[in-house]
Amino acid sequence: MNCPNTFGDFKCAHCGQIVSSAHWLSGVNNRNHCSYCLWSRHLDLYAAGDRLSACKATMQPIALTSKRSRNKYSRGRGELMLVHLCTDCSEISINRIAADDDADTLLEVFNDSCSLSNRTLNLLLENEIDILPPEGLPVLQLQLFGKITNIRLAKIV
Amino acid sequence: MKPNTNEHDQGVVYRKTLGHYTVRANGRDIDCVLSSLLRKQLIYPIADPTSLRRRVQKVREVEHIDPVAIGDHVRFIRAGDGSGMINQVLPRHSTLSRPAPVPGQRVFEQVIVSNVDQVIPVFAAASPTPKWGLLDRYLVSAEASELPALIVINKLDMASKNRRLEADLEIYRRIGYKIRMVSSVTGQGLDELQALLAGRTSVLIGKSGVGKTSLLNAIQPGLGLRIKEVGRGDLGKGRHTTTHLEMFGLDIGGALVDTPGMREFGLWDINGEDLALYFPEMAGYVGQCKFGLSCRHDLEPGCAIRQAVMAEKVSPYRYKSYLNLREEL
Repeated sequence: MNCPNTFGDFKCAHCGQIVSSAHWLSGVNNRNHCSYCLWSRHLDLYAAGDRLSACKATMQPIALTSKRSRNKYSRGRGELMLVHLCTDCSEISINRIAADDDADTLLEVFNDSCSLSNRTLNLLLENEIDILPPEGLPVLQLQLFGKITNIRLAKIV
Repeated sequence: MKPNTNEHDQGVVYRKTLGHYTVRANGRDIDCVLSSLLRKQLIYPIADPTSLRRRVQKVREVEHIDPVAIGDHVRFIRAGDGSGMINQVLPRHSTLSRPAPVPGQRVFEQVIVSNVDQVIPVFAAASPTPKWGLLDRYLVSAEASELPALIVINKLDMASKNRRLEADLEIYRRIGYKIRMVSSVTGQGLDELQALLAGRTSVLIGKSGVGKTSLLNAIQPGLGLRIKEVGRGDLGKGRHTTTHLEMFGLDIGGALVDTPGMREFGLWDINGEDLALYFPEMAGYVGQCKFGLSCRHDLEPGCAIRQAVMAEKVSPYRYKSYLNLREEL
């Protein structure tokens, strides 16, 4: 994200792709991560879109979680959310998945989240975030593709 | 034309409207026009600049929108009818400038006011809601002009409508800026403010509707300057009431310059590389970054200012203002 002070299109700091922030493509108002590699940049401090963070390091997508009305980031059938971890200051943020986010990369993130380090798991625990567990794959597939496919399962397992 | 150096023909510009300047000399106001020589820069041969019979080599247009500003000490020639013509502007000890908001490719300097001792950015506690980014612009401009700033928050009687006011002001207190909270309606805080104005020449700057003229009316009763209420249908935006610059002498000593509301306030003669130096809380970190003085304090690794923001030594709001202004320069 080389245009940190604008809400326009940007070049991904991780994969170098040009990412469009057009609402009609993403379906979200604040496009805050790359739709190809799902990496983000640590730009917000107090609230989404405030652009007040001075860290500006890249943020790695480490896991998926789901949003529920009462307990916002716990297991369940709420909206799928992407969990980012700052590569510099270890800040964790949770972001909405956009309509044009690459589904295969989302599955890869889910796959990798099954083998997170203890340090990262502790960070998630401190932030009271329940990530989507391995048995949540069918739920994830349903949300991403509308059906459970064996091909996808084979790829993950 | 040889400038008239008669002591009686020297005064201070107190008011200006289109093409006319009111110069106060020996307690009397003289309506003056401008000599066309002040609009031009005459270029003489360098070989013999002291020659008695100097021949003008070239005439250039002066790079100012108006060569005379409020607060200028000027020399003028008296006409028989009580009016005069300004023919020399004496050296200024301070100026507050901005790029003139005129269309076109060439950018001219607009000296808002000269020879002032302090800048007073005025904001309303509410209606209109303070825009701190605009305050940062004013403060940077004051720092660049080496003028102290005194932040005045007017409409203290409406402060209950702005819950974040105290927290926002604390940022500026921590940097070391003086802040005074006043109400021109109830008179609250006016005595303290007057003490800081006495014996100094100050300029009030701020958006329309923050109450600059009301404040002046309250500080110097009897002026009876025209004021208007803030519009109700347009999100509390002010309506332009004061249309010209004017300086008023104060009974307590000193003078106060009232300015029309300024929605645009560009920075004049400030380089992007120097900008961080005009943020007092950041200035100490300049040069300590990994890339030294080449650091833009944006995305560069090892930036001392970004680290200071993360260590909560510099406000993230002020840092964001820095980045916004940096993009302009």
